Parts: sequence; C-alpha cells; structure tokens
Amino acid sequence: MAILPAPTRSARTELAVDATGLTKQFGGRTVVDRLDLAIPLRAVSGFVGPNGAGKTTTIRMLLGLIRPSSGQGEILGGTLDRPESYLHKVGALIEAPAFYPQLSGRDNLLVLARLGSIDTARVAQVLDRVGLSQRSTDAYRTYSLGMKQRLGIAAALLPSPELLILDEPTNGLDPAGIVEMRDLIRSVADEGRTVLISSHLLAEIEHICDHLVMIDDGRTVFQGPVTDLRTNRSSEVVLRPESASRLAALVALLDGAGFPARIEEDALDGSCVVVSIGAERAGELNRMCMGADITLSHIAERRRSLEEAFFELTGSHSRDTALAHSLGGVR
Amino acid sequence: MILQSFRSEWIKLRRPTLLFGTFGGVALAASFFTILTFTQAPATGAGSFDLPSLAGLAQPNGLIHGMSRAVVLLGVVAFGIAATQIAAEYSLGTLRQLLVRQPRRFTLLAGKYLAVISFLVAAVVIASVITGGVALVLAHIRHVPVAAWFSSAGLADLTRALGMLLLAVIGFATLGFAAGMFLKSSVFAVILGFAYLLPFESILERIVPSTGHWLPGSLIGVVGQGGTATDGFARSLMISTVYLAAIAAGTIVAFRRRDVTA
Repeated sequence: MAILPAPTRSARTELAVDATGLTKQFGGRTVVDRLDLAIPLRAVSGFVGPNGAGKTTTIRMLLGLIRPSSGQGEILGGTLDRPESYLHKVGALIEAPAFYPQLSGRDNLLVLARLGSIDTARVAQVLDRVGLSQRSTDAYRTYSLGMKQRLGIAAALLPSPELLILDEPTNGLDPAGIVEMRDLIRSVADEGRTVLISSHLLAEIEHICDHLVMIDDGRTVFQGPVTDLRTNRSSEVVLRPESASRLAALVALLDGAGFPARIEEDALDGSCVVVSIGAERAGELNRMCMGADITLSHIAERRRSLEEAFFELTGSHSRDTALAHSLGGVR
Repeated sequence: MILQSFRSEWIKLRRPTLLFGTFGGVALAASFFTILTFTQAPATGAGSFDLPSLAGLAQPNGLIHGMSRAVVLLGVVAFGIAATQIAAEYSLGTLRQLLVRQPRRFTLLAGKYLAVISFLVAAVVIASVITGGVALVLAHIRHVPVAAWFSSAGLADLTRALGMLLLAVIGFATLGFAAGMFLKSSVFAVILGFAYLLPFESILERIVPSTGHWLPGSLIGVVGQGGTATDGFARSLMISTVYLAAIAAGTIVAFRRRDVTA
C-alpha cells in the first residue's frame, strides 16, 4: 500500500481541507479508519474509492452531519467540531439531490437561501447558471433526473462557495449530462474555487481532477497530484509483430532476454505482446526484435488506468469483478 | 438566525395544498362541532358540560363552546402537521441540505418549530372567526340570544377559551414534532400518534380510569377545554407543561447529537 506522506507545515497553509485521523464507527463497525485528508486550495480534487469505501461518511463528517468518533481537522480555517465556522463558505451536493417535491425549483432554492441568510437574488443567478431558468417555477417532482441533479448543483453554488463538495455528481446522468456536468465543474474551478468530487467512477474523475485521494475500506491508499500517480504507476509496452505467426517467437525472445511477456487478445486490433517495463526501454526492445528478424508493426507505451492503479495500490488484483464494476471500469 | 429558519420554513408551509387544506380542514372540523352543539342542544333544562341547553349557549362563552369541544380533533390535526413537517425532512433527505446551510441545529429546530406553531395558531384563529360566523347563523336559527356573547364578559370568555385552545394545539404540535423527529417517517409518526391519542389513551382510561388524570393526550385536551368536570385546568396545565418540557428537552438533545445519515 502506497500512502503518501502528509503535507509539510508550509504546504498546509494552502489547504482547503486538512484533516487527520478521521475515524467513524457505527456500533462496532469502523467505516472510516484514521483517514488523513489534505485537499489543496483552488484545485479540483477527486475523492475516489469503491462503493462502501467510506466516501460519503467522510463527506458527511466534513459537513458536520456526522460526528467523527475521533480525529480532527480544519476546513477553510474553521475547525471540524464547529461546522458553523466554515459552512457558510461551503456548497455541497450530498449523494442524490434532495428537495421538496411539491415546491418549484425556485422555491426549493429559496428555502435554502433564506435559511443561510443568502441574498435571494442569487437564486435566479444559480438557476441561470445551471440552465434551469425556464423551468424554475415548475414543481421539482416534474423534473427529469438530469434537471434534479442540476438543481442540486445550483443549491451547492447558492452561497458562492469557496469550497464545493460534490458527492457522486454524475450519478444517473446520461453521457451528454456527464459532459455537461464536467464542463460545469471545470468552469467553477476556473473561478478559483476549490472543488472536491467524490466518485466511484475513476475514469470519470481522471478527466477533471488535478489532485486525488483514493480510499479503500475507510483508509487512504493514495493522496497527491494526479501527475504523481501517473508517474509512479508502472507502465507497459505493447508490441505487435507484422505477422501474427511471429507472436510466439516474440514472447520466447523477450522471455529469454529477461522481459516477462504475455500475449493479449484484442478483438479490434488483433493479438499483441505486452511487456511490463518502462517506456524508456522500448528502443532496446525494438533493436532486439530487429536482431531476431521480427519486424514490429506497432510499438507503444500503455499507461494504466486509474482503476488499474487503484488495484495496484491496494494489492487487490484478485478481487472479484463486482468491485471492478463498482469502480466503473472493466478490467 | 432563528428568524431566518422561521422564514425559510414558511416557504414550505405556504404552499396552497397545505395552507388551504389545513386552514379549511380546521375550520370545517370546528364548524362541524359548533353545528352539532347548536342542532343537538336541548331547548329546555340545563344541559350537560359537553352539550349545554340553548339557554346555556346564550351565556357569554356560548360563541366558542362548539370550537372548544373540537379540541381533540384540532389536536390530532396539529399533531399530524407538526410530525409531518419534521419527519419529511428525514424521509426526503432534505435535512442534510438544511443543516449545511444552517449548521446550528437548535436554531434550525427552533425556527422550524415556531413556524409550524405560527401556522397552526393562524389556522385556529381563522377557524375561530369562521366558527363564530357559523355560531351566529345557528343562534339566529335556533333563537338563541347573543347579546351576552359580545358583552365584556363574553369577549373575555372568548379570549380565554381561544387562548386555552391554542395552548392545547401547541401542546399537541409539540408532541407531533417529537414523534416526527424520533420516528423519522411521516406516515409512521402520524399513524402511531393518532393511534396513541385516539384509541390507545381512551381504551387505557376505560380499563384503568385513574390513568386519565395522567395521560398526556387527555391532559392537553383538558387544557384546551379550560378544565372538565373531573380535571381542573391548572393541574392539567401544570402536568402537561412538565411532560412537554421533558419531551421538548429530549427532542432538542437528540436532534443536536444525532448523526444525519438520511
């Protein structure tokens, strides 16, 4: 397990969320286990892990909805045990959007604006921003799933938040809705706001995040910039001989030279040989093949996806496919 | 801060279905009891505590008599609305949104409670006005003199009776609020509350008559009627207040400490 060291004191001053040892037990069950969180300011951070990893419980602790069993933290300079000291600067969408079905979208936001002493003029602004102005007077119960999700985002944007926490924001959205949501998140981040997105869809997170926190079984398994994860991740080189009949010879050659290789079937591109080494040694492989009279039609580096990195970090390659699917990838 | 929570809650309470449904329902229930009282009142004799004669209705408190008899029905309505307003926040999951915008839980709860109480008070006051009109029409039909109703004694009686009725409604609403908070389900809270207030207490009182002097629903009902032949107003008010204070304290403590997982 590769847990990155906690940020240094100087780095902590630039953190939106700085929590250490967060633990939550329900009865005898530990849902979040000594979790450390260091979410940088003005960045989009992904908070990922399989279903049941403790993401929502952690977010609820950050929002003062659940009292941590132990641990401490600061959010935007306020302490975790006094959520009123920072929540006026935080917007959140927690799990599925929850509103009053009989009230209109506008009135639902008005309930929250009045409660949070937010200028009610913001209601029209955020409705416009998420593209719901035309339907703002319709009852919430008549909204489509995508519209409900957008209203949830509007509610989160209501206080003009410095920190926006979105828990599974693309849940239930169609591909167009996902792209729309991604653009919206990016535009919010471009305004200099800090965004923390929780998701079990690692591929989705990979597109929009600068920083990543991976958790599993309530524990941190990785925390740091996405680029660090990419750099640290072991890569592979994919080789495809000009003639498929040379596949076995290529594997034998590589094995003989001390490069463990395997043949992978690919329905689209045909079979290839995969070697688990860094891309910097691709030239060496190419020369070796040329020397053995094996002509390559394709040689390329293959970076592992976040899903694969997650399993690599947790050492859980043998996990069942259900977990793989809960992470949104087909391994 | 409580004012913000109060104003926020009123956005939910003012929706037409709830507003007109409740105000109309309460007025209808109160008018129904007034109609029953006037149509069934014996023309002669002294009548009884629950059903005075026409002469009794001509007394200063005649105007509000029918409405006072509707106290349990009004209480059930108050209980149901209060229970629903808080339980729905759990069942819809909206409580988490509210607590993010107002993390001071006592402030949120207090504003919400005061809004619901003000809503019910408005419903009862409007129902009183409508019932008063119904009583005047019925008094005319049954030839009941109404001069005493508008005497200073009559208006004082009216104010006192209305005040007691409102106290009872607040009491029932407080019970409803607690039930909604602890049970977290509108349907479950309303069913359980109605079952307790209507048949359960009544059956228990019949089997063990002495419990009638101690059961919260009965006592609040007595307060609403300004005392009955068997239970005094002051004692009922005192014991009810103790019960409600304990229930309110428990509700506040639980609401402030409980994790919100809905």
